[in-house]
Amino acid sequence: MRKRVSLALAALLVCAASEAMAARSASRDPVVGLRRLTEQEYRNSIADIFGKDIAVQGMFEPQVRMGGLQSTSAMILSVTPVGFESFSKMADSIAVQVTDEKHRGKLVSCKPKNPKAPDDACAAEFFSHYGLMLFRRPLAANELQARVKLASDMTKSTGDFYNGLHYGLAQLMQSPNFLFRKEAAVKTASGYTLDGFSRATRLSYLMWGSTPDAELLKVAEAGDLNSAAGLEKQVDRLMASPRLEAGMRAFFSDMLELDTFDTVSKDAIIYPKWGGAMAPSAKEETLRSTIDLALHENGDMRDLMTTRKTFVNRSLAALYDVDFTFDNDWMPYEFPVNSGRSGIVTQVSMLSMFSHPGQSSPTKRGVAVMDIFLCEPTPTPPANVDFSIINDTHGALKTVRERLMAHATTATCASCHNHSDPIGLSLEGFDTIGQRRLTENSTPIDLSAKIGSKNFKDGTGLGQYLHDNPKYPACLARKLYAFGTGVNSEDVETSTFKSAYKSFIDSGFRMRALLKGMVESPDFFNTPAPAEEASAGQLTKLASQKR
Amino acid sequence: MDRRKLLRGMFQGSAAVVGVPFLDCFLDSKGQALAATGQRLPTRFSTFFFGLGLTTKLWVPQKTGLDYDTTIQLKPLEAFKKKMNVFSGMRVMVDDNPNFQHWSGNAAIVTGIAPTKNAQFDSKTIDQTIADVISRGSRFKTVAAAASGDPKHCYSSLGGANTLPAEPTPMSLYKRLFGPGFQDPSRGDWKPDPQVMLQQSVLSVVSDERKDFMKDLGPADKARMEQYFTSVRESELQIAAELQRPEIVAKVTIPADPGEMVVNYALPNVRVATPLMAKLGALAMATDQTRVFNLAISEPGSNIFVPGDPLGYHITTHMEAIDLTLGYQPKVAEYNIYSMELLASMLKELDAIPEGDGTLLDHSLTMAYSDQSYAKIHAVDGIPIFLAGNASGRMKTGFHIAGGGAPVSRVGLTVQKAMGLGVDGWGKGSMETKSLYTELLA
Repeated sequence: MRKRVSLALAALLVCAASEAMAARSASRDPVVGLRRLTEQEYRNSIADIFGKDIAVQGMFEPQVRMGGLQSTSAMILSVTPVGFESFSKMADSIAVQVTDEKHRGKLVSCKPKNPKAPDDACAAEFFSHYGLMLFRRPLAANELQARVKLASDMTKSTGDFYNGLHYGLAQLMQSPNFLFRKEAAVKTASGYTLDGFSRATRLSYLMWGSTPDAELLKVAEAGDLNSAAGLEKQVDRLMASPRLEAGMRAFFSDMLELDTFDTVSKDAIIYPKWGGAMAPSAKEETLRSTIDLALHENGDMRDLMTTRKTFVNRSLAALYDVDFTFDNDWMPYEFPVNSGRSGIVTQVSMLSMFSHPGQSSPTKRGVAVMDIFLCEPTPTPPANVDFSIINDTHGALKTVRERLMAHATTATCASCHNHSDPIGLSLEGFDTIGQRRLTENSTPIDLSAKIGSKNFKDGTGLGQYLHDNPKYPACLARKLYAFGTGVNSEDVETSTFKSAYKSFIDSGFRMRALLKGMVESPDFFNTPAPAEEASAGQLTKLASQKR
Repeated sequence: MDRRKLLRGMFQGSAAVVGVPFLDCFLDSKGQALAATGQRLPTRFSTFFFGLGLTTKLWVPQKTGLDYDTTIQLKPLEAFKKKMNVFSGMRVMVDDNPNFQHWSGNAAIVTGIAPTKNAQFDSKTIDQTIADVISRGSRFKTVAAAASGDPKHCYSSLGGANTLPAEPTPMSLYKRLFGPGFQDPSRGDWKPDPQVMLQQSVLSVVSDERKDFMKDLGPADKARMEQYFTSVRESELQIAAELQRPEIVAKVTIPADPGEMVVNYALPNVRVATPLMAKLGALAMATDQTRVFNLAISEPGSNIFVPGDPLGYHITTHMEAIDLTLGYQPKVAEYNIYSMELLASMLKELDAIPEGDGTLLDHSLTMAYSDQSYAKIHAVDGIPIFLAGNASGRMKTGFHIAGGGAPVSRVGLTVQKAMGLGVDGWGKGSMETKSLYTELLA
């Protein structure tokens, strides 16, 4: 009898949900974006939905960098068999933890009538809640029903209600609806714009680097994110949350290409100081100092190029040759004026990532600075280039500068090298692992550089050059827009982030102002026409031309 | 006592033998090798990728056909001369597409198509095409490993920008193959794991979402999601395979977990990781965990370096001067030899596993290839390609084939034929070919 009642209850729940969904599915919106969750987004989402003590262990498929950002590749990558196998195992291990005896009291909101038998009402409650959180929209009736049935079958096979929940939950996390952020658009008078849930998702993954919380989803469902006032209220709430730091860490980590460290090898014979702890330390230094300026100090983002303030830990202190007098892991530190260090381009991270294993590379450094901070990617060099003269350290050309200058006299090379090399040459005062040096092969290093009509000298001069270069803040705004929308930064129209950029300038280049200006501008949620429609439109055009 | 524990325990001290040794009575009337269960051994396929090619002057033999001369750079492979074929002078025709540096060459070899986009494949790669046919019933459709530690170093793809991630360390490769889920075929009390059966039901619900999920997608996203649901399907097949008692029982030793080690571009580390990974791959093929194994020692444009060399392999190919007396780049030539030594170390592992009338190498085909022929100028004509193993008797070996400008796709087509695929032609544009190296096919 009891069983029949609970089944009836579940059926009722499912029916109610299906009615609500009927309206939704009748007018399904075209999908304009499908973005595979990045590793960080996956980890943050799981932590926010289930709690930080749920371990996420496994391999994530690599991404590729496009238009200066890895996140952009989330728009074109799929899931390979190896990747799915890993997602599958991860999902299972997370679901086991969520439903184990330690966590079920907190994470499973209802109790089954009999822990050894199916309880569809309790299962429906469980899957409705986590389905909403994981799919970033409510489950449709048939979707809910499929999980309730799966849980029920599994409970019967294993004689354990919680095991049923475990399998149903694992399934939710293997679904493309979780692994991909689906962005759907609705038609407006002037084009297409994201629907409520897609807005909430785009907003949350940009600002928090994670899944929207219950409140944001509720507001999205009510349609409040479509009004300027409703949107602003939520943006301010997201902005005030400590989670903002996670979002901005994800952005800067991507923009500053800090993943490069995952595969940097340094020559231990030439540079024994480069130990295993160095790469993660250097990465953390850069993130810490950037976040400190951008969020904690609410500083002028142009100062990122000139500030002598940073954070060091014990291993970095050794490399920077400064005393480490601190009990904790990280110590705030300000380099002295004559240290040669100023701004992010003179940090160990930037200097070592863009170098060879045992030798600095002005070209690599120059190309990286142009690409990362000025949004000016350098074309691939022509296939047939003879570099031999610049590598003969025993010949007449003693320093890298002399060797580079020799080949930059060739017209084909010069067109690119004249752009990037001066930047890299001004950083030659630092070796491949970022230690300061004054000579190379016993010859004093000339750190002067000239770009266009601007003359400068060394890392400090380069920092000032970048600080004063309007291309840098514009590039930062462009990359933030690309990171948020998934559009390749090279294809981003300047007009789409114009108003955000204006807020950025008006605020004195504060990151928060840029972010707020960006997400509150209608352009942030507007999208081009869906692909099918575009091609249909083109066909019509063609047909009419034929006529 | 648990037999697997016993085996592991024994290995701490010495070796253990898994399975029953092959005996002549396991050979069928044609002398074909059979597994202990009487099942014919499948022909397995592997690839070996090495970046930056070789030095033409030092590797291309003068003579063609059988009994060609062993050149300086082929010297490390001498032990396998009779068991392999060498292809020189094969062309990559890019047609109207750019020659993407360190990409067009290797992509063309594995797809028969000059890539239209950098770092993307214009079709499924050859190992996947072969796996579609030969891998049914084995646990993993394909397995890949990257000996300098970057999971991106894998040139196996279902098409597009996605490549199947490689296992970046011997330990991760070991865990994938012989960790949880590994079914020791020789266990007397073998029975299907009930947990695995339950996973099947979970996956079928994922598959059921396909129709609904695809509904509102544009064409590009539809293609991406086809790959996703293919991956789901492969997981289902993997589970189905795990529920079957493996039929192939080999005379091999499953070693202990190799443990943590530094895996990066430093040559001494690559020299440790390569044979270790090759061994694990070989064991995986011998025990039918997979029938397709891809090993890359680096990316195209290899960043491998010899400690003490400040520039490393790739930059050296561009920056080192040609020695006017020698007529080549001496340091680059040394790096080339390291690649051949590493290839030899893989072949050695395949050849070390006895199977019926021969070794695993004899019952498989390994395609070794690179991204450039002359890396200094990013040339793609004459990229070295080697085929080792005689594919269970279907490929004759010991030849040097001078391609004379024939498209690289001829090698790929011949490989597929030798692997038993019913293909008539392969490749696109100028590289579309129906021309097999019939002289190599038995």
